[in-house]
Amino acid sequence: MGREVEATAEESLVRRSAHGDGRAFAVLVNRYKGMVFSTACRLLNDAGRAEDAAQETFIKAYAALPGFRGEAKFSSWLYRICYNSCISMLRKKRPEVELKEAATASVPGPVEEVRSRSIKQAVMDEVVEMPEDYRAMITLYHFNGLSYEEIALTTRKPLGTVKAQIHRARALLKTRLIERVGWEELRKVMWT
Amino acid sequence: MNCNELKSLVQEYVTRELTPEDRHRVDTHVMDCQDCRRELALMSAVVSGLDSQPASEPPAGFAARVMAGLPRQRELVLSPWWSLAAAPVLGVLAYLFRAPLLESVLRLAGRTGIGQVSVTELGLAQMAIVPAVVVLLALGVTAAAATYCWRSC
Repeated sequence: MGREVEATAEESLVRRSAHGDGRAFAVLVNRYKGMVFSTACRLLNDAGRAEDAAQETFIKAYAALPGFRGEAKFSSWLYRICYNSCISMLRKKRPEVELKEAATASVPGPVEEVRSRSIKQAVMDEVVEMPEDYRAMITLYHFNGLSYEEIALTTRKPLGTVKAQIHRARALLKTRLIERVGWEELRKVMWT
Repeated sequence: MNCNELKSLVQEYVTRELTPEDRHRVDTHVMDCQDCRRELALMSAVVSGLDSQPASEPPAGFAARVMAGLPRQRELVLSPWWSLAAAPVLGVLAYLFRAPLLESVLRLAGRTGIGQVSVTELGLAQMAIVPAVVVLLALGVTAAAATYCWRSC
Protein backbone atom coordinates (compact mmCIF):
# COMPACT_ATOMS: atom_id res chain seq x y z
CA MET A 1 0.00 0.00 0.00
CA GLY A 2 2.74 2.44 1.04
CA ARG A 3 4.73 1.63 -2.08
CA GLU A 4 1.66 2.14 -4.29
CA VAL A 5 1.08 5.57 -2.78
CA GLU A 6 4.76 6.39 -3.25
CA ALA A 7 4.64 5.20 -6.87
CA THR A 8 1.53 7.27 -7.55
CA ALA A 9 3.13 10.31 -5.95
CA GLU A 10 6.21 9.76 -8.11
CA GLU A 11 4.08 9.36 -11.24
CA SER A 12 2.46 12.68 -10.46
CA LEU A 13 5.85 14.33 -9.91
CA VAL A 14 7.13 12.92 -13.19
CA ARG A 15 4.03 14.07 -15.07
CA ARG A 16 4.20 17.56 -13.60
CA SER A 17 7.93 17.78 -14.34
CA ALA A 18 7.25 16.74 -17.93
CA HIS A 19 4.93 19.74 -18.18
CA GLY A 20 7.67 22.05 -16.98
CA ASP A 21 6.86 22.19 -13.25
CA GLY A 22 10.25 23.07 -11.78
CA ARG A 23 9.17 22.48 -8.18
CA ALA A 24 8.08 18.91 -8.97
CA PHE A 25 11.37 18.28 -10.74
CA ALA A 26 13.31 19.69 -7.76
CA VAL A 27 11.67 17.02 -5.57
CA LEU A 28 12.84 14.32 -8.02
CA VAL A 29 16.36 15.78 -8.10
CA ASN A 30 16.55 15.71 -4.29
CA ARG A 31 15.19 12.18 -4.19
CA TYR A 32 17.64 10.74 -6.72
CA LYS A 33 20.72 12.96 -6.48
CA GLY A 34 22.52 10.55 -4.13
CA MET A 35 21.84 7.56 -6.36
CA VAL A 36 22.92 9.36 -9.53
CA PHE A 37 26.01 10.95 -7.98
CA SER A 38 27.13 7.68 -6.38
CA THR A 39 26.76 5.83 -9.67
CA ALA A 40 28.72 8.50 -11.53
CA CYS A 41 31.43 8.51 -8.83
CA ARG A 42 31.91 4.78 -9.14
CA LEU A 43 31.86 4.72 -12.91
CA LEU A 44 34.18 7.70 -13.33
CA ASN A 45 36.16 7.55 -10.07
CA ASP A 46 36.51 11.29 -10.05
CA ALA A 47 34.24 13.42 -7.85
CA GLY A 48 34.52 16.50 -10.07
CA ARG A 49 33.62 14.69 -13.27
CA ALA A 50 30.98 12.71 -11.40
CA GLU A 51 29.28 15.95 -10.41
CA ASP A 52 29.31 17.10 -14.04
CA ALA A 53 27.90 13.76 -15.17
CA ALA A 54 25.21 13.80 -12.48
CA GLN A 55 24.22 17.33 -13.40
CA GLU A 56 24.13 16.41 -17.08
CA THR A 57 21.97 13.39 -16.21
CA PHE A 58 19.28 15.54 -14.58
CA ILE A 59 19.34 18.18 -17.30
CA LYS A 60 19.01 15.52 -20.01
CA ALA A 61 16.26 13.82 -18.02
CA TYR A 62 14.34 17.08 -17.71
CA ALA A 63 14.58 17.69 -21.45
CA ALA A 64 13.55 14.11 -22.26
CA LEU A 65 10.75 13.82 -19.68
CA PRO A 66 7.89 14.66 -22.09
CA GLY A 67 8.92 11.53 -24.01
CA PHE A 68 9.02 9.30 -20.91
CA ARG A 69 6.13 6.89 -21.25
CA GLY A 70 6.46 5.18 -17.88
CA GLU A 71 7.17 1.75 -19.39
CA ALA A 72 10.18 1.40 -17.07
CA LYS A 73 10.52 2.73 -13.54
CA PHE A 74 11.62 6.36 -13.41
CA SER A 75 14.72 5.33 -11.44
CA SER A 76 15.71 2.75 -14.09
CA TRP A 77 15.22 5.35 -16.80
CA LEU A 78 17.41 7.78 -14.83
CA TYR A 79 20.09 5.09 -14.36
CA ARG A 80 20.19 4.61 -18.12
CA ILE A 81 20.72 8.32 -18.74
CA CYS A 82 23.40 8.45 -16.03
CA TYR A 83 25.13 5.34 -17.37
CA ASN A 84 25.14 6.74 -20.92
CA SER A 85 26.48 10.11 -19.74
CA CYS A 86 29.31 8.44 -17.83
CA ILE A 87 30.20 6.07 -20.65
CA SER A 88 30.30 8.93 -23.11
CA MET A 89 32.53 10.91 -20.71
CA LEU A 90 34.84 7.91 -20.36
CA ARG A 91 35.03 7.60 -24.13
CA LYS A 92 35.77 11.27 -24.64
CA LYS A 93 38.76 11.07 -22.36
CA ARG A 94 40.09 7.80 -21.08
CA PRO A 95 41.79 8.54 -17.79
CA GLU A 96 42.77 4.93 -17.05
CA VAL A 97 46.41 5.82 -16.54
CA GLU A 98 45.50 8.77 -14.32
CA LEU A 99 43.14 6.57 -12.34
CA LYS A 100 45.81 4.00 -11.70
CA GLU A 101 48.27 6.67 -10.68
CA ALA A 102 45.74 8.28 -8.36
CA ALA A 103 44.77 4.96 -6.86
CA THR A 104 48.31 3.94 -6.08
CA ALA A 105 49.91 7.30 -5.35
CA SER A 106 49.57 7.32 -1.58
CA VAL A 107 49.41 3.61 -0.99
CA PRO A 108 52.17 2.45 1.35
CA GLY A 109 52.39 -1.13 0.09
CA PRO A 110 50.02 -4.01 -0.58
CA VAL A 111 50.13 -5.78 2.75
CA GLU A 112 50.26 -2.69 4.92
CA GLU A 113 47.52 -1.16 2.87
CA VAL A 114 45.12 -4.03 3.36
CA ARG A 115 45.94 -4.27 7.03
CA SER A 116 45.42 -0.60 7.68
CA ARG A 117 42.60 0.25 5.33
CA SER A 118 40.41 -2.82 5.59
CA ILE A 119 39.17 -5.27 3.01
CA LYS A 120 36.42 -2.91 1.85
CA GLN A 121 38.89 -0.30 0.71
CA ALA A 122 41.08 -2.92 -0.95
CA VAL A 123 38.07 -4.22 -2.87
CA MET A 124 37.14 -0.68 -3.91
CA ASP A 125 40.66 0.05 -5.08
CA GLU A 126 40.59 -3.05 -7.24
CA VAL A 127 37.18 -2.09 -8.69
CA VAL A 128 38.65 1.27 -9.74
CA GLU A 129 41.28 -0.51 -11.79
CA MET A 130 38.90 -2.88 -13.53
CA PRO A 131 37.98 -2.53 -17.22
CA GLU A 132 35.06 -0.11 -17.80
CA ASP A 133 32.49 -2.77 -18.63
CA TYR A 134 33.24 -4.78 -15.52
CA ARG A 135 33.30 -1.71 -13.32
CA ALA A 136 29.91 -0.66 -14.67
CA MET A 137 28.41 -4.09 -14.00
CA ILE A 138 29.78 -4.23 -10.46
CA THR A 139 28.58 -0.69 -9.78
CA LEU A 140 25.06 -1.32 -11.00
CA TYR A 141 24.67 -4.72 -9.33
CA HIS A 142 26.47 -4.35 -6.02
CA PHE A 143 26.54 -0.63 -5.32
CA ASN A 144 23.17 0.35 -6.77
CA GLY A 145 21.39 -2.94 -6.06
CA LEU A 146 19.90 -3.33 -9.55
CA SER A 147 18.70 -6.74 -10.68
CA TYR A 148 20.23 -8.48 -13.71
CA GLU A 149 17.14 -7.54 -15.73
CA GLU A 150 17.37 -3.87 -14.74
CA ILE A 151 21.06 -3.82 -15.67
CA ALA A 152 20.26 -5.35 -19.04
CA LEU A 153 17.70 -2.56 -19.60
CA THR A 154 20.07 0.15 -18.41
CA THR A 155 23.06 -0.94 -20.47
CA ARG A 156 21.03 -2.34 -23.40
CA LYS A 157 23.00 -5.58 -23.20
CA PRO A 158 21.55 -9.08 -23.37
CA LEU A 159 20.73 -10.64 -20.00
CA GLY A 160 23.25 -13.45 -20.59
CA THR A 161 26.03 -10.95 -21.28
CA VAL A 162 25.19 -9.05 -18.10
CA LYS A 163 25.34 -12.19 -15.95
CA ALA A 164 28.55 -13.37 -17.60
CA GLN A 165 30.26 -10.00 -17.15
CA ILE A 166 29.28 -9.79 -13.48
CA HIS A 167 30.64 -13.31 -12.94
CA ARG A 168 33.90 -12.51 -14.71
CA ALA A 169 34.23 -9.22 -12.86
CA ARG A 170 33.91 -10.90 -9.45
CA ALA A 171 36.32 -13.65 -10.46
CA LEU A 172 38.82 -11.05 -11.65
CA LEU A 173 38.41 -9.11 -8.42
CA LYS A 174 39.09 -12.21 -6.37
CA THR A 175 42.19 -13.08 -8.42
CA ARG A 176 43.57 -9.55 -8.18
CA LEU A 177 43.02 -9.41 -4.44
CA ILE A 178 44.99 -12.62 -3.98
CA GLU A 179 47.72 -11.38 -6.33
CA ARG A 180 47.91 -8.10 -4.50
CA VAL A 181 48.02 -9.29 -0.95
CA GLY A 182 48.35 -13.04 -0.94
CA TRP A 183 45.90 -15.50 0.54
CA GLU A 184 47.52 -15.71 3.95
CA GLU A 185 47.49 -11.95 4.47
CA LEU A 186 43.98 -11.70 3.14
CA ARG A 187 42.81 -14.37 5.53
CA LYS A 188 44.28 -12.45 8.46
CA VAL A 189 42.39 -9.34 7.42
CA MET A 190 39.16 -11.23 6.77
CA TRP A 191 39.08 -12.83 10.16
CA THR A 192 40.49 -10.07 12.34
CA MET B 1 29.42 -32.48 -6.10
CA ASN B 2 33.03 -32.07 -7.24
CA CYS B 3 35.33 -29.06 -6.90
CA ASN B 4 34.78 -27.82 -10.47
CA GLU B 5 31.04 -27.87 -10.00
CA LEU B 6 31.40 -25.96 -6.76
CA LYS B 7 33.56 -23.33 -8.45
CA SER B 8 30.82 -22.77 -11.01
CA LEU B 9 28.25 -22.26 -8.25
CA VAL B 10 30.25 -20.35 -5.68
CA GLN B 11 29.08 -16.88 -6.76
CA GLU B 12 25.41 -17.85 -6.78
CA TYR B 13 25.90 -19.40 -3.36
CA VAL B 14 27.31 -16.19 -1.95
CA THR B 15 24.66 -13.98 -3.59
CA ARG B 16 21.92 -16.39 -2.43
CA GLU B 17 20.70 -17.24 -5.91
CA LEU B 18 20.98 -21.02 -5.48
CA THR B 19 18.07 -23.34 -4.84
CA PRO B 20 17.95 -24.82 -1.31
CA GLU B 21 18.99 -28.21 -2.76
CA ASP B 22 22.10 -26.76 -4.42
CA ARG B 23 22.96 -24.78 -1.29
CA HIS B 24 22.81 -27.96 0.68
CA ARG B 25 25.08 -29.73 -1.81
CA VAL B 26 27.62 -26.89 -1.57
CA ASP B 27 27.45 -26.94 2.24
CA THR B 28 28.04 -30.66 2.29
CA HIS B 29 30.99 -30.44 -0.09
CA VAL B 30 32.84 -27.64 1.71
CA MET B 31 32.66 -29.51 5.00
CA ASP B 32 35.19 -31.98 3.60
CA CYS B 33 37.14 -29.83 1.13
CA GLN B 34 39.55 -27.21 2.41
CA ASP B 35 40.30 -25.70 -1.02
CA CYS B 36 36.62 -25.10 -1.72
CA ARG B 37 36.11 -23.72 1.75
CA ARG B 38 38.84 -21.22 1.00
CA GLU B 39 37.26 -20.43 -2.38
CA LEU B 40 33.93 -19.80 -0.72
CA ALA B 41 35.42 -17.65 2.03
CA LEU B 42 37.29 -15.54 -0.47
CA MET B 43 34.26 -14.97 -2.69
CA SER B 44 32.20 -14.11 0.40
CA ALA B 45 34.80 -11.52 1.36
CA VAL B 46 34.74 -10.03 -2.14
CA VAL B 47 30.94 -9.86 -2.30
CA SER B 48 30.56 -8.54 1.22
CA GLY B 49 33.24 -5.92 0.48
CA LEU B 50 31.26 -4.87 -2.60
CA ASP B 51 27.87 -4.86 -0.91
CA SER B 52 28.99 -2.78 2.04
CA GLN B 53 30.42 0.18 0.15
CA PRO B 54 28.95 3.44 1.45
CA ALA B 55 27.11 5.69 -0.99
CA SER B 56 28.78 8.94 -2.02
CA GLU B 57 26.90 12.12 -1.18
CA PRO B 58 26.81 14.90 -3.75
CA PRO B 59 28.47 18.16 -2.71
CA ALA B 60 26.43 20.88 -1.00
CA GLY B 61 24.35 22.98 -3.37
CA PHE B 62 24.25 20.27 -6.02
CA ALA B 63 20.45 20.32 -6.44
CA ALA B 64 20.42 24.11 -6.68
CA ARG B 65 23.06 24.00 -9.41
CA VAL B 66 21.02 21.41 -11.33
CA MET B 67 17.90 23.56 -11.09
CA ALA B 68 19.83 26.64 -12.18
CA GLY B 69 21.11 24.74 -15.22
CA LEU B 70 17.66 23.76 -16.50
CA PRO B 71 16.32 25.45 -19.62
CA ARG B 72 13.95 28.25 -18.59
CA GLN B 73 11.56 28.46 -21.58
CA ARG B 74 9.58 25.30 -20.88
CA GLU B 75 8.34 26.67 -17.59
CA LEU B 76 6.78 29.63 -19.38
CA VAL B 77 4.81 27.56 -21.85
CA LEU B 78 1.39 26.32 -20.90
CA SER B 79 0.83 22.66 -21.51
CA PRO B 80 -1.30 22.21 -24.66
CA TRP B 81 -3.73 20.11 -22.61
CA TRP B 82 -4.29 22.88 -20.09
CA SER B 83 -4.94 25.46 -22.78
CA LEU B 84 -7.23 23.01 -24.57
CA ALA B 85 -9.21 22.59 -21.36
CA ALA B 86 -9.24 26.36 -20.87
CA ALA B 87 -10.81 27.04 -24.29
CA PRO B 88 -14.40 25.97 -23.47
CA VAL B 89 -14.21 27.55 -19.99
CA LEU B 90 -13.13 30.86 -21.49
CA GLY B 91 -15.84 30.48 -24.16
CA VAL B 92 -18.57 30.04 -21.53
CA LEU B 93 -17.29 33.01 -19.51
CA ALA B 94 -17.18 35.15 -22.63
CA TYR B 95 -20.77 34.07 -23.49
CA LEU B 96 -22.02 34.99 -20.00
CA PHE B 97 -20.39 38.40 -20.16
CA ARG B 98 -20.95 38.91 -23.89
CA ALA B 99 -22.85 42.21 -23.54
CA PRO B 100 -20.27 44.16 -21.48
CA LEU B 101 -17.43 42.59 -23.50
CA LEU B 102 -18.99 43.54 -26.81
CA GLU B 103 -19.79 47.02 -25.51
CA SER B 104 -16.13 47.50 -24.57
CA VAL B 105 -15.02 46.30 -27.99
CA LEU B 106 -17.49 48.56 -29.80
CA ARG B 107 -16.56 51.54 -27.63
CA LEU B 108 -12.93 50.96 -28.50
CA ALA B 109 -13.86 50.64 -32.17
CA GLY B 110 -15.85 53.90 -31.94
CA ARG B 111 -12.92 55.73 -30.33
CA THR B 112 -10.49 54.58 -32.98
CA GLY B 113 -12.99 55.50 -35.69
CA ILE B 114 -13.42 51.96 -37.02
CA GLY B 115 -17.22 51.94 -36.61
CA GLN B 116 -20.17 53.37 -34.65
CA VAL B 117 -22.61 50.62 -33.61
CA SER B 118 -24.63 50.36 -30.37
CA VAL B 119 -24.87 47.04 -28.50
CA THR B 120 -28.64 47.30 -28.38
CA GLU B 121 -28.75 47.30 -32.20
CA LEU B 122 -27.02 43.91 -32.35
CA GLY B 123 -28.93 40.63 -32.32
CA LEU B 124 -28.15 37.60 -30.17
CA ALA B 125 -26.43 35.80 -33.06
CA GLN B 126 -24.11 38.74 -33.67
CA MET B 127 -23.24 38.97 -29.97
CA ALA B 128 -22.23 35.31 -29.95
CA ILE B 129 -19.25 36.32 -32.04
CA VAL B 130 -17.41 37.36 -28.83
CA PRO B 131 -17.28 33.90 -27.20
CA ALA B 132 -16.49 32.41 -30.60
CA VAL B 133 -13.48 34.70 -30.98
CA VAL B 134 -12.34 33.87 -27.42
CA VAL B 135 -12.59 30.12 -28.08
CA LEU B 136 -10.67 30.53 -31.33
CA LEU B 137 -7.94 32.48 -29.52
CA ALA B 138 -7.68 29.78 -26.83
CA LEU B 139 -7.43 27.10 -29.51
CA GLY B 140 -4.74 29.18 -31.18
CA VAL B 141 -2.76 29.22 -27.91
CA THR B 142 -3.25 25.44 -27.68
CA ALA B 143 -1.90 24.92 -31.18
CA ALA B 144 1.09 27.19 -30.49
CA ALA B 145 1.89 25.39 -27.20
CA ALA B 146 1.55 21.99 -28.87
CA THR B 147 3.85 23.06 -31.70
CA TYR B 148 6.41 24.36 -29.19
CA CYS B 149 6.33 21.15 -27.16
CA TRP B 150 6.53 19.02 -30.28
CA ARG B 151 9.60 20.94 -31.48
CA SER B 152 11.41 21.22 -28.16
CA CYS B 153 10.71 17.75 -26.76
